[in-house]
Amino acid sequence: MRIRKGPGRHAAAGWLFVTPFTVLLVAFLLLPMAYAAKLSLYRSTLVQGEVFAWLDNYRQALGDPEFRRGVVRVIVFGVVQTPVMIALALVFALLIDEATSRLSRFFRLAAFVPYAVPVVIGTLMWGFLYSPRTGLFSSAGGLDPLSGDTVLVSLGNVVTWQWAGYNMIVLYAALQGLPREVYESARIDGAGPVQIALRIKTPMISAAIVLVTIFTIIGTLQFFTEPLILQPLNPGAITNSYTPNMYAYHQAFSYQQYNYSAAISFLLGAVVFIGSYIFLFVTRRRSALR
Amino acid sequence: MSTVTLDGTSTRAAERTPRRTARFGAGRIASHAVMAVMAVYFLLPFWWLLVAATKNNDGLFGSQPLWFGGDFSLFDNLSRLFTQDDGVYLKWLRNSALYSVVSGFGATAVAALAGYAFAKLRFPGRNALFAALLGLIMVPMTALVLPTYLLMSEIGLTDSVWAVILPSLLNPFGVYLLRVYAHDSVPDEMLEAARIDGAGEFRVFLSVALPAMRPALVTVLLFTMVATWNNFFLPLVMLSDDDLFPLTVGLRTWYQSATIGSGGGQALFNVIVAGSLVAIIPLIIAFLLLQRYWRGGLTIGAVK
Amino acid sequence: MSVRHSSLKRGRRRPVRAMVAVVAAAALTAAGCGGSGDAGGKPDGPVKIKVWAWYPSFKPVVDHFNKTHTDVQIEWTNAGTGQDQYTKLQTALKAGKGAPDVVMIEFQEIPTFQLTKHLVDMGEYGANAAKGNYVDWAWKQVSAGDKVYAIPVDAGPMAMLYRKDIFDKYKLTVPKTWAEFKEQAQKLKKASPSSFMTDFGANDGGFMTGLLWQAGARPFDYTSAKAPNIGLSLNGPQAKQTMSYWEDMVGTGLADTTAFATTDFYTGLTTGKYATYLAAGWGPGYLASVAKKTSGKWRAAPLPQWTDGANAQGDWGGSAFAVTDQSEHPKEATKVAMEIFGVDKEAWRIGIDQAFLFPTTTPILEWDYFRGKEYEFFGGQKVNEVFVPAYNGVGEFRWSPFNSYYFSQLTTALNQAIEKKTSWPAALDTVQQNLTKYASQQGFKVAP
Repeated sequence: MRIRKGPGRHAAAGWLFVTPFTVLLVAFLLLPMAYAAKLSLYRSTLVQGEVFAWLDNYRQALGDPEFRRGVVRVIVFGVVQTPVMIALALVFALLIDEATSRLSRFFRLAAFVPYAVPVVIGTLMWGFLYSPRTGLFSSAGGLDPLSGDTVLVSLGNVVTWQWAGYNMIVLYAALQGLPREVYESARIDGAGPVQIALRIKTPMISAAIVLVTIFTIIGTLQFFTEPLILQPLNPGAITNSYTPNMYAYHQAFSYQQYNYSAAISFLLGAVVFIGSYIFLFVTRRRSALR
Repeated sequence: MSTVTLDGTSTRAAERTPRRTARFGAGRIASHAVMAVMAVYFLLPFWWLLVAATKNNDGLFGSQPLWFGGDFSLFDNLSRLFTQDDGVYLKWLRNSALYSVVSGFGATAVAALAGYAFAKLRFPGRNALFAALLGLIMVPMTALVLPTYLLMSEIGLTDSVWAVILPSLLNPFGVYLLRVYAHDSVPDEMLEAARIDGAGEFRVFLSVALPAMRPALVTVLLFTMVATWNNFFLPLVMLSDDDLFPLTVGLRTWYQSATIGSGGGQALFNVIVAGSLVAIIPLIIAFLLLQRYWRGGLTIGAVK
Repeated sequence: MSVRHSSLKRGRRRPVRAMVAVVAAAALTAAGCGGSGDAGGKPDGPVKIKVWAWYPSFKPVVDHFNKTHTDVQIEWTNAGTGQDQYTKLQTALKAGKGAPDVVMIEFQEIPTFQLTKHLVDMGEYGANAAKGNYVDWAWKQVSAGDKVYAIPVDAGPMAMLYRKDIFDKYKLTVPKTWAEFKEQAQKLKKASPSSFMTDFGANDGGFMTGLLWQAGARPFDYTSAKAPNIGLSLNGPQAKQTMSYWEDMVGTGLADTTAFATTDFYTGLTTGKYATYLAAGWGPGYLASVAKKTSGKWRAAPLPQWTDGANAQGDWGGSAFAVTDQSEHPKEATKVAMEIFGVDKEAWRIGIDQAFLFPTTTPILEWDYFRGKEYEFFGGQKVNEVFVPAYNGVGEFRWSPFNSYYFSQLTTALNQAIEKKTSWPAALDTVQQNLTKYASQQGFKVAP
């Protein structure tokens, strides 16, 4: 290849190199998005078929109590479960960063292994363990982890079990990347390990904390697999509209409301997208995404 | 990204630094107690799974969940697992492996090319495309599964291995990571030197950039493979032929059939439990064997 | 066989000739569609018919069919159980491609698929010839007049399975009416407080509808010919009476509310927590497979009646084979739908012994192998002597063209009534309201 100076000197190669990615981006992201947007502007009924309906589907979604309850549920879930899990992950990360013993290495592995388990299988296992009569809590007098009042907490436990170790490892990796001298000097000044952990280490890995938080939020707003798998165990508590994603899935696949489903998907995508951007914007100085 | 290093070696170097943990005896005991308790929490479901796999349905429904009981039926369960529906489980196992290996290597190759181009090659539209990519990292992929299905059915690609593999090749985050990594770790002088020696751009990429990007490539590969192995929603929607199912969708089908009760349902609980155990064994072995790569690579995952 | 092989080979080498063959085949099939010739569609060997079904042990049935047929061959796929398969079917039908020729559909879902006009009227391909093999109510589940949208395979007439050992131990008598059922339940509760007379699985729309069916409730007044008119009566007097009864049974601790087909439910069956299991025709074989330990302790008896001496029956489950509009060989597909099980004794042997299916065709129902079969699990009782009369006594019943929505609303409303301890009949009012709203939104003209 001829070497040219100037801004476009690798133009051909550059375009060639990004072509596979760009094609995939268009085919599996932009086109589906455009298609969902188009679908969401139509309305189809079982009897009459498809008609153009402007924003009727969106209007219906915003006024749909089942959809709204689902949205509120995942927001509550995200607001409670995300901080709990990230806090746990942070504590674990600080612990294994501080202690170097055989137990801490073992713990690191034990906490991380659930990440390797497919969500479907992880949820199936907890489903068995939650069973009120044959499960873990069968002897804990009357506690039913699958009842309407407790099932959201039980779902939170599945998510925490699956992802806390993963987030721990990510934060731990960030901790390991810190220059040791900074807190060695604090140690010489008489700071204890707890103080060092909270005042020095935690602020220094805030970028990583922000990122794992964002990705956790994106994940919880799309909450789907766990409730879908637990649903047969108590369909009264976990309804078809339990989370917005489940609602969209059932609208499309159980009730054939593809247009309404597309509107919900689009709305959900927009909320997640805008939500994560606001979060990134607010924390932009700490965030690592450039 | 600024505080995160991608270098696996610094991790290992840091561990060798002597610590003065012994001074804090009480704190050490407390922190080890916490770790011990939490390790039990994280491992408990695995223990249950191991125990449960040795029970038949009677044992599953009628004995203590965390201890052996009833007849020892592990081998019976396993033989049923591999013969149920004409041994379809083995197909699922093979499919999961196929999807995760092909998607893993494919996505990594695509991301490596693009990440390198974004970092090191100048071409018109580069900045605009990269900005678009940053925005699209935040798009919730599950919301796109249904429209993707409808689009793919237009071209007749649903219910084929491609319906699962092609969408999995798109990994904007992998591109982003590799772009950052290539930016920091591929020296421009070496690229120029190779070009002056007369190497074409693709050759330069293969012989100079790829070796320098190796640790990050391994990470992206591992993450994509695990993500595809664990993927559920996409294959659930795309595939109807159970010969094409990955493990996750297949096991769900059995579970569905076990919990449906009405005509055609089969209480396959013991088979499902055995199937779950067999399904996670390869992953756990891979985890233990590749521990070094996870740790080295996960520094990069600090932003994943 | 060898002829087919060589013609295929030739076809591959000479695409033009293959084209001609395809066109000819298409023309012949089209002629077949007119209902005249029956020699259509086989210049290139057997017609391949794609079938979706989730019956257990279905592979040997397919093998048997393929062995005994030369002109038609089945390519079978298990595309998921229940809703999973419907989901795939709906999307494939909507997409216009990817659907099989023949598909297994449960009775209650047939109007849903018929409404979108994706089911072929098999009456045009001679399906009415099979009508005489079915009792009236079963045939009406799949047809409207001369139009046939599916061929029934199995059904689920309801009956009561009970633990003879528990009945003997507490000196309970087999109840003939629901009132006696409650009396015996109270007697059992007094003697053994941790036991339940039965389990009411409010997670199963089919089970609850089966009980409503027996009580004479007819929630839907709908046929494909009537669309878009539909009559909805989810909260009629018979339905409310049934639900009040069960509300009382559950409220007084006589019946449990564990979801059906969960591990807890099976635990209840194996440990003797439940003295009875209100089951369907597929229940005996199913129970035997999940509660092996209790073999020999169970017996079957007819479902208790609301009126003493009456013969009111209900159905829970049942399925049929339909032909989709994507089939290029509707005639052969109809043949497949009619003959996979049909009245074929070899196929039914597998269906009865391995898949626990309860047949719908009279010749098989009367066949001594089935009717006289002694079940070791039931202490040698010929349980089908209970189920076959129940099947014959089932009344006519219509389903709505939005059954997924109906089942989902019914189970949600009743589970919430159970959870929050609100009135069950009022839950039926909620279902009525929601369904009315939904149907109107979908463009139906709703009459009460």
